[in-house]
Amino acid sequence: MTSYVDRQEKLKTGLDRDAALRLKNNRLGMTIFQASWIMVFFAIIVVNWQLRFSYAQWPPVGVAPFDPLLPSIATLALLLSAALVRQGWGGLRGGKLGEFLVSWRLAMALGIGFMTIIVYEFMTVSEAALATQYGITLRLMTGFHFVHALAILAVMLHVYRGACAGAYSGGEREAWAVEGAAKLWYFVAVAWMLFYVVLYWIR
Amino acid sequence: MATIAVPLGAEIESHEAEAVQRPALSEYLRWSVDHKIIGVQYGVASFLFFIIGGAMAMLIRLELWTPDLDVMVSGAAYNSLFTMHGTVMIFLFIIPMWAAFGNFVVPLQLGAKDMAFPWLNAFAFWLIPPAAIVVLLGYFVTPAEAGWTSYPPLSTLFSGDGQTLWALGAHLLGISSIMGSINFIVTIFNMRPPQMTIWRMPLLCWAVLATSIIAVMATPFLAGALTLLLLDRVAGTTFFDAAGGGDVLLWQNIFWFYSHPAVYIMVLPGMGVLSEVLSVHSRKPVFGYRMVGLSSMGIAFVGFTVWAHHMFTSLQPELRIPFMITTMIIAVPTGIKMFSWLGTIWGGKIRFTSAMLFALGFMSMFVIGGITGVMLAALPFDIHVHDTYFVVSHFHFVLFGGSVFAIYAALYHWFPKVTGRMMNERLGRIHFAFTYFGFLFTFFPMHIVGMLGMPRRVAVYDEAFANWNQLISFSAFVLGFSTFIVIYNIIRSYYRGPVAGANPWRALTLEWATTSPPPVTNFTDDPIPFEDPYGYGTEASAAYLDAVEAAFDGNENRTILD
Repeated sequence: MTSYVDRQEKLKTGLDRDAALRLKNNRLGMTIFQASWIMVFFAIIVVNWQLRFSYAQWPPVGVAPFDPLLPSIATLALLLSAALVRQGWGGLRGGKLGEFLVSWRLAMALGIGFMTIIVYEFMTVSEAALATQYGITLRLMTGFHFVHALAILAVMLHVYRGACAGAYSGGEREAWAVEGAAKLWYFVAVAWMLFYVVLYWIR
Repeated sequence: MATIAVPLGAEIESHEAEAVQRPALSEYLRWSVDHKIIGVQYGVASFLFFIIGGAMAMLIRLELWTPDLDVMVSGAAYNSLFTMHGTVMIFLFIIPMWAAFGNFVVPLQLGAKDMAFPWLNAFAFWLIPPAAIVVLLGYFVTPAEAGWTSYPPLSTLFSGDGQTLWALGAHLLGISSIMGSINFIVTIFNMRPPQMTIWRMPLLCWAVLATSIIAVMATPFLAGALTLLLLDRVAGTTFFDAAGGGDVLLWQNIFWFYSHPAVYIMVLPGMGVLSEVLSVHSRKPVFGYRMVGLSSMGIAFVGFTVWAHHMFTSLQPELRIPFMITTMIIAVPTGIKMFSWLGTIWGGKIRFTSAMLFALGFMSMFVIGGITGVMLAALPFDIHVHDTYFVVSHFHFVLFGGSVFAIYAALYHWFPKVTGRMMNERLGRIHFAFTYFGFLFTFFPMHIVGMLGMPRRVAVYDEAFANWNQLISFSAFVLGFSTFIVIYNIIRSYYRGPVAGANPWRALTLEWATTSPPPVTNFTDDPIPFEDPYGYGTEASAAYLDAVEAAFDGNENRTILD
């Protein structure tokens, strides 16, 4: 009756057929959603790229290039945060709730640090840059990414509070919410890496 | 003879002909997570929008009856009218209408109890009514005037607040479409019964899979474009304004990167319907099954590489030829489908049911729309007929002669499964005759006036085209009238139609191996698909069909044909 994939699922997780199917559906659905929604970020990269051709050079004449120092620190913080999310999720799968709580607390703090720097970048674009698409696209991209980071941080906070209240005793079955939130946070990190390279390194 | 595994036979003892258990009508007005209810909700809602969009088309044709401006108060009013006509027909009718058939039929064809994410499914549907209200309300404030393509600067500097509402509504519809498509892909990959490998999957599922892949990969570009449009309109940015360093072509690139694949979102499910209907009603296996499934994927893939042919006149000259070539390549997978359909009906035992007539109508009309598509792909010809009625004719042949004919074929084919009652075949044939000839004489002459040079999107035109336009308008009214026939047929058949039984067409796919309409869980046991979804004409398939019939209807309840 069960396919190869089903049997593997059963071996790995010990779930019954319906729960295993739900988990399988959730995972595939999340993958497709990520593949789909990253296309919006690609669309915005295309915007940035095409607008460069309106100018003789990029950044435009008379506009100082953005300083990549602070954003690079923010990027490191975000990557570290994603790694901690991974570690916490792994800990929860192994039944170690304490490890999960500590990792996610740190991850969320780093996430907030990242977002603070991004807000600072958004607010401090020079007047000269804002008179051109160089500054406007920075605001578009950081702002657009910030909205996603904020929403997904809220999801992580929700999951974290659930874990504090004892919603996830460990094991694969109840951990889908954790897995989903973690995968959304990876999405934030990947999307930012794309924007970071385009904004600060490709001239 | 092969042993036939019959679904559910053991659990079902007797069936009275009149015991058609249908959901109460009030269930369709409420939140429901049942894919069958949601399918009907999608269908009825989009049909309503078809009527609204059709009424707008009638007004357009009334205005064009004479060369002067007589019905509309101004050219701007005419602009907003055809803008709404296009928007309603594309975003609120055709795309959700395919979600209707996909929702109802796909889980049944896969033998699944429901879609993978029932709640998400309902949510995707319930985004449509508010989106529709937002878009239509825009018509009553200062309406959008930039056509359904909303090119800046028309859509940024010259359109009123209706354009902002248009963009918001389109945003919601895009999100709805993405969520629905994620659901379809997961359902098709994960919810098939173990015996149904991907190469034994019905072709409608293949088509919906290809459509959904396009929708999830392309619709985010629409979301990006609409976000920029909204920012330009309300936040004072200048992405599309050259005065502020922006670029008007930016919109065209991003919009068409979504909207050209969206053309295939609108027609691919129709092609899937054709493969189902032609095979069932001519009692023959689909010719070249694998190639048809793969050609859907081929269209989906190549469809992403052709968008700039919508911008031939504004594109850098050196980029035109590559896009001309990719556009012509699209004809290859489409041609595979056309030959498969011809091969399927060739030598078949054709039953000229209403569904079959509309399917044959699709073939004859879509081939014209396809050929004018190749003509338009040829750069020198395109520059000659650019922005004329030739283009209008081309895309109506594809979207009406293609998609709408397929929607009608699907309606006549699956109506018995949805309601448990047959549609009236005589009315169906009358409907077909009016639609076919009304359509042909509405849109074919547009090729001619287009070549003669009549521009599109104008309310006032040269005297020389007056006679042609009267013919076009008259035929359009005939076409509009034909819709009333099918509405009457639907309502009458819903209450009075003959009881259909489980499998009135003697079809092999799994949606027919359960009662009509199916019970809440679709099947009372895990259904077992026949080894080949289109294996008509063998003893084994006849035995399978007899067994299904015996399990659900008994012998006296045969309703139709064969």
